[in-house]
Amino acid sequence: MSGRTLASRNTWVRIKRNWILYAMLMPAILYFVAFKVQSIMGMSLAFYDYRIVGENVFVGLKHFRDLFSTPMFWQIMKNTLIISFVKLIIITPFPVAFAILLSEVGNGKLKKLTQVVSYLPHFLSWVVIAGIWFEFLSLNGVVMDIWETVGGTRMDLLTSKDTIIGVLVASEMWRSVGWDSIIYLSAILAISEDLYEAARLDGANRWQIIRNIVLPHLIPAIITVLIINMGVVLNTGYDQILNFQNDAVLSRIDVIDTYAYRIGLEGTRYSFSTAASLFKSILSLILILVTHFTSKKLTGKGAW
Amino acid sequence: MNSNKKVIGAPRVSTFFINLIMVFVLLVILVPMLNLVAKSFSDPAQVAGMSGWRVIPKGFSLVNYQIIFSNPAIWRALMNSVVITVVGVALNVVVTSMAAYAMTRPELPGKSLFMAFFIMMMIFEPGIVQEYFVIKDLGLMDKLPVMMLYNTVTVYNLVLLMRFFSETPQSILEAASIDGAGHLNILFKVFLPMNKIPIMTVGMFYAVAHWNEFFRSSVFLTSNANTTLQVFLRRFVVEGDSTVLASLGSIDLTGISMTGLKSATIVVTVLPILCMYPFILKHYTSGVMSGGVKE
Repeated sequence: MSGRTLASRNTWVRIKRNWILYAMLMPAILYFVAFKVQSIMGMSLAFYDYRIVGENVFVGLKHFRDLFSTPMFWQIMKNTLIISFVKLIIITPFPVAFAILLSEVGNGKLKKLTQVVSYLPHFLSWVVIAGIWFEFLSLNGVVMDIWETVGGTRMDLLTSKDTIIGVLVASEMWRSVGWDSIIYLSAILAISEDLYEAARLDGANRWQIIRNIVLPHLIPAIITVLIINMGVVLNTGYDQILNFQNDAVLSRIDVIDTYAYRIGLEGTRYSFSTAASLFKSILSLILILVTHFTSKKLTGKGAW
Repeated sequence: MNSNKKVIGAPRVSTFFINLIMVFVLLVILVPMLNLVAKSFSDPAQVAGMSGWRVIPKGFSLVNYQIIFSNPAIWRALMNSVVITVVGVALNVVVTSMAAYAMTRPELPGKSLFMAFFIMMMIFEPGIVQEYFVIKDLGLMDKLPVMMLYNTVTVYNLVLLMRFFSETPQSILEAASIDGAGHLNILFKVFLPMNKIPIMTVGMFYAVAHWNEFFRSSVFLTSNANTTLQVFLRRFVVEGDSTVLASLGSIDLTGISMTGLKSATIVVTVLPILCMYPFILKHYTSGVMSGGVKE
């Protein structure tokens, strides 16, 4: 008997002996197949005309041509890219800075209280956050009180095209800076005490220690987070946008996801909406692959 | 020891500024939240004149909460959310822990293939139209179970649980299998009791996700009778549609402050999260909170 058939027979024996393990894995696999794989395969609808009765008709790239010749779509593309990348670029440094500050707070009680409070918004739904922020930003709310004190005139930030993206970024920060700092904080706590000791003996001050010891130790975590966030950067999600959307700012913060929802489910242009979603999925996939291979080349570490 | 390691020799001025920033963070998060709580407990007649800074109620009143808990529409939405969350989490925990157990057994052939499958499931996002069609084809449209089944497994929680499971000492497993216990027995009689805290943590994450789910609930559960609390909150607070209160019966709102009532609805929606929050903190972030390392 050749080694190869022996090996494959062994595998077969192992599979048979451990059938119960496959049975245990089955519900999870079944869930994904029933809900997700089916949905993903359904995206071929982008190449068909939807028919309520009878077979869908294959139309090739017709819906993509329609999509690309819709001026509205390019505005939405632009919105998606702006919102995604502005969030990514502006927000990323804050959890790092917050973690460093937390690790530098001498007072144990203040530190613990700040942690308990700052992690909390991560667990609130966007509906709730929108409810809180509507009051927070209202004409006689806290933010406008401060704005008036420093010499501004009270205004509605939620219905102005110029400020709504700022509101999205700020509310996202309010929700996630605390929680996102956890990964960096644990990286800081993992730094060996000896390094601090040595630095202090050399007469390094607090800022020098942060710059030369703490920050370099945070780089791997920062890169990991950036890679993950790049991969999902176009998944702006529905919840935040839908809850901060109003007629006055719709044209500025309508993104591919919400657009596909509006024309697909609130309207009934199923194939057209699918084409938009599929276009986004392909862009996302390209982004993930590009970040994966770039980071592998630069740091030897990929997304998986 | 840990807390003062970097403080030695630190300039007083920068310590002061760091503390100041922390206080700023506390205020930015707490003031808007506590202001809503205060408004919800205030006398409705005085809510309109309340400053956004005020964190204690003006003229104490429970009328908003009386309305909420006597309103059939809100009750219905609350109950729907509770049922979805409780049943959903039970399903999540059973399915995820079985899968995590199987995925961490070294004797499972084809493990990397399954992992690749799960990662693909995490990366690909189907369009909402397709999700809608699949739910329709499965016959689950506008039925509560759809939201119990939605996200039965999330890859994030699966991987989290796998990490905990893979730390369970192999010797215990070997002892159990020598005793002739099968995999299912090992999982439910040895593994789960040993990993109570990781499982509860993952359960909490699932519970928060079920409780907070808004978009899919609004798409898949279309009738008033099946509305969840988040969807109700969205219509009432975000869209400012007070007719939702009357969707399942008539209601008298004379002399009621809408701001106060909305605030109270938000408080009720957040309450279950607040109850789970200490537990999540204790077990998930205990490492970073006490100064030790979580790995």
